[in-house]
Amino acid sequence: MTKESHAVILFYTSNHAFRAEKMLDQEGIPCKLIPVPRHLSSDCSVCARITRDQMEAARRILDAARVETLGIHEI
Amino acid sequence: MREKLTRFFGSPAGIISTGSVIGLLAAYLPELGNPPNMGVCVACFERDLAGALGLHRAAPALYLRPEIPAFVLGSMLAALLFGEFRARAGSAPVVRFLLGVFAMIGSLTFLGCPWRALLRLADGDLNAVLGVAGLVAGIGLGAWFVKQGFTLGRAWKSLPLTGWAFPLAMIVLVVFAFAKPSFILESEKGPGSMYAPVLVSLGVGLFIGFIAQRTRFCTMGSIRDAMLLRNFHLLYGVIAMVAAAFVLNLILGRFHLGFDGQPLAHTNHLWNFLGMVLTGLAFALAGGCPGRQLFLSGEGDGDAAVFVVGMITGAGLAHNFAIAGVPDQVVDGAIKVGGLSANGQIAVFVGLIFCLLLGFVLREKFE
Repeated sequence: MTKESHAVILFYTSNHAFRAEKMLDQEGIPCKLIPVPRHLSSDCSVCARITRDQMEAARRILDAARVETLGIHEI
Repeated sequence: MREKLTRFFGSPAGIISTGSVIGLLAAYLPELGNPPNMGVCVACFERDLAGALGLHRAAPALYLRPEIPAFVLGSMLAALLFGEFRARAGSAPVVRFLLGVFAMIGSLTFLGCPWRALLRLADGDLNAVLGVAGLVAGIGLGAWFVKQGFTLGRAWKSLPLTGWAFPLAMIVLVVFAFAKPSFILESEKGPGSMYAPVLVSLGVGLFIGFIAQRTRFCTMGSIRDAMLLRNFHLLYGVIAMVAAAFVLNLILGRFHLGFDGQPLAHTNHLWNFLGMVLTGLAFALAGGCPGRQLFLSGEGDGDAAVFVVGMITGAGLAHNFAIAGVPDQVVDGAIKVGGLSANGQIAVFVGLIFCLLLGFVLREKFE
């Protein structure tokens, strides 16, 4: 898997990121929590890195679980 | 160009350069007049600032340190230049204020914030080993709470003036630092009477504020990210800061290894440790070290500004109620060990209980 095939999901708070990690893991979507890439935000919070092909599935799961996201960005 | 710079500052080379520069400047400022082993200490400088404004009257700790407003304004300049100034606020202001108060009480127990704890290590002060151990323990506990669901809630976009209010107040402080009006107090002896030229302090502060905003340099965040995410990016910067300060201290002959006789420090190991546990925990729950809170305030974050005001208030309380730690002193040729008064010990315990309660109670339920 190359770095170019990733996307990150940004959250308003870190606890939403941890919640998202749990939800995505349960649904079989590989996910790794990382610091928000500097070029995306000056905030020093946590985001979830997934593969680009899982972006839509992840969005649906998190919406259903009422995990508030700030956006999904390809990196 | 802007994008290239942003990529650089976000890279390992960027954070290592930033940490190294901060370490060199912090180690060199005592040569220019700042107190020994205190080239940069956000908590100590805010304590002196609180004294200068008359919030306490501890005679050796009164000086309007220009570095503090300069950190905020340097960050503000960077945020404006790179389009990152965003007015936002609204998440648990009273809790943030109280976390700031207790973060300061913990720092003044140890006699230094996380920045000075690390810089004291680079000076050879072994008491800082206890402080840094406490800091790591406190941050570890805070990180565990975050992982369990602790939150102060999210910030909301705010009216522009709310983001500008704190930087504007800092501009007023810079004017006072130069004009020195009679109502701004200043020490005649002690650390408050030791300072670099105002212009130098201002320039160094602006520069550090600028590069720290670009890189998100954060002493607390470096340990939190390493523990929670196994990500060591910020830690590279902190290690670079300590290493650079260590090397310059060696060159300048300012490295003195040992526990005893360290400037503005005490050898009471238990309270050095516990004070920094409280500090680390409070900073971890608030989401940033004292420097980072100033840099966030500069980019329009009202929640961070409330935390800073809490820290400054905490400094006033710490000295008015004899809570702050007392450095070791040489009296009649013998070392008189300092440490913490009964009031201070009670305050640290109250702070720890407060932070633990927050950690267990402030959790968002999803179901």
